[in-house]
Amino acid sequence: MTTFTETKVKIPVLSLSRVWTIAAGTMTQLVRMKTFYFLLIFAVLVAGVGYLDFRLATAASQLETIKKISFGTMDLFAWLYAIVATALLIPRDLEDRTLYTILSKPVRRVEYLVGKLLGVLILIGLSLGLMFCLCMVMLAIKHGDLVSSELIKLSSDPNITQVEIEEQIALINEQGPRKELGVAALASFLKSSVVAAMTILISTFASSSLFTIITSIFFFLIGHAHGMMTDYWLHKTEGNLVIRLATKVMKLLIPDFQLYSFSEGVVTGATIVPAVVWSMGFLTAGYLFIFLLISLMIFMYKEF
Amino acid sequence: MNGTFPKWLKIVLIFFVFGLVRSPFESSLRKQMQETRMLLPTPGHSAMAQMGQSALMGLLGGVRTLVATGYLFDSYRHFDNDDWDANRKSLLLATYLEPTVESHWVDLVWHRGINAPAWLETRSTLPEIEKRILYHEYTRDAIELGEAGLKNLPDSVEIRKQMSEVYKEKIKDPCGTARMYKEILELKNAPMYASRFYGYYLADCPGRERDAYEHLVNLYWEGKQNHLPTLLKKILTLQEELDIPMPLWIPEKDPDARKAVNRRFEKRNRILPGGIRLPW
Repeated sequence: MTTFTETKVKIPVLSLSRVWTIAAGTMTQLVRMKTFYFLLIFAVLVAGVGYLDFRLATAASQLETIKKISFGTMDLFAWLYAIVATALLIPRDLEDRTLYTILSKPVRRVEYLVGKLLGVLILIGLSLGLMFCLCMVMLAIKHGDLVSSELIKLSSDPNITQVEIEEQIALINEQGPRKELGVAALASFLKSSVVAAMTILISTFASSSLFTIITSIFFFLIGHAHGMMTDYWLHKTEGNLVIRLATKVMKLLIPDFQLYSFSEGVVTGATIVPAVVWSMGFLTAGYLFIFLLISLMIFMYKEF
Repeated sequence: MNGTFPKWLKIVLIFFVFGLVRSPFESSLRKQMQETRMLLPTPGHSAMAQMGQSALMGLLGGVRTLVATGYLFDSYRHFDNDDWDANRKSLLLATYLEPTVESHWVDLVWHRGINAPAWLETRSTLPEIEKRILYHEYTRDAIELGEAGLKNLPDSVEIRKQMSEVYKEKIKDPCGTARMYKEILELKNAPMYASRFYGYYLADCPGRERDAYEHLVNLYWEGKQNHLPTLLKKILTLQEELDIPMPLWIPEKDPDARKAVNRRFEKRNRILPGGIRLPW
């Protein structure tokens, strides 16, 4: 008579290697969906902006406009990409039945969710990195051209001293490629991370990708506007109690995405306060944790 | 526990608790970011009421820099068509969206204070009285817009510079021009030329000639870097106008006279007796 001894394998709560495997799979999945094609559109746009005819503007304001368009588009693409890519993941896994294969293996649901989110975040980070490099190259080319033409113009004026020429060039340099602009790209990344985590939460109970996309965009817009709208409504209704309560509830439930728009300030030359950037990173970590926790609470008991 | 405490309630509770924790943190962050201009300020209620649909969508959708740039390009189009009111509206919307972007205010003052009056000057079909009224309205509006810009950007050199241009070129008020450069001089980031320009325009301000002379002479004695043609010319003119005693005159000749002598000398040396012209 043969006896079988039962070996108990302890499965850790969160295995990083399993999370990484799912993240890598998610990246491959998204790359195969050809979601990177938007980078081509971005490259064409940045190149186009660099060669726009700004005959009315000064050298510094030309560079400022190029920066604003490039970084504004970068930010827009990043959060849109975060919503669309994340919204496609869980429904696609369900449709392809990949989800059943994954969850029938010793993979915890938390690992699945964290892996999915990590995959999207890495891809957003890579896309933002590429877009940032494109912007900086375009900005460096344009900056070089503008500085040399300005130098020729200023040097020919006998009423302008050398120090004044240097002052003028310094003004142009302020709008040129600077490492501080990396913080603007980081701001877009932080914003997209929160958007992706919110989208993953919605997709855990949503019935389709379309519903997830629409709902996420809706919440994003509310999250972006609730500060302004609250002020406006309270002003219009002279502090009506119902409006006040409704806006308070809205503030507590929906993230304040407007805070993440500090890339706009950085691009227009605001002084960067490292403590603020760190605080924003900390806040983002808090959002990611809470959204993942709630996603897990829903996903854990979901029957497939 | 699960039976008495439904899952959805737990979720709402988590959201609420997190919301309560993050709210004061976010408020203090917002305040800090607005103080350092990392975050663009929220437009005032009257500004929001005046905004068009696209501006409002841009504001609410987090793409305000893109929409503001769109309005800037729109203003260029109106400038091409000499549509000054539309040009003003587009730029004003850009300033509502990005009140701390200096270039929008500068453009607004430039178009309203320089281009629009310049266009009026060339309109021969308009009655003279209407021209005068509009001219006055445009220039006054430019100065008011510049002042509104300075409320948002009190340290701005560029807005003041543009306002000084309006005072100088269109209002023909050297005292106003000098006042603008005086304000620039008091700023931390004042450019070097501001001190000279203050003196130049003060010299043309009736009753302030002596102050201008003293200021410019001080600049002259600061060093050779200030011995520029306009500065010398201004001092030489003021010396004569104010009857400054000869021993106090600066040891410089009129740069124009010097140039004229040089030109004559060059011309003379190129022509040999008999009128033969040298080829170099």
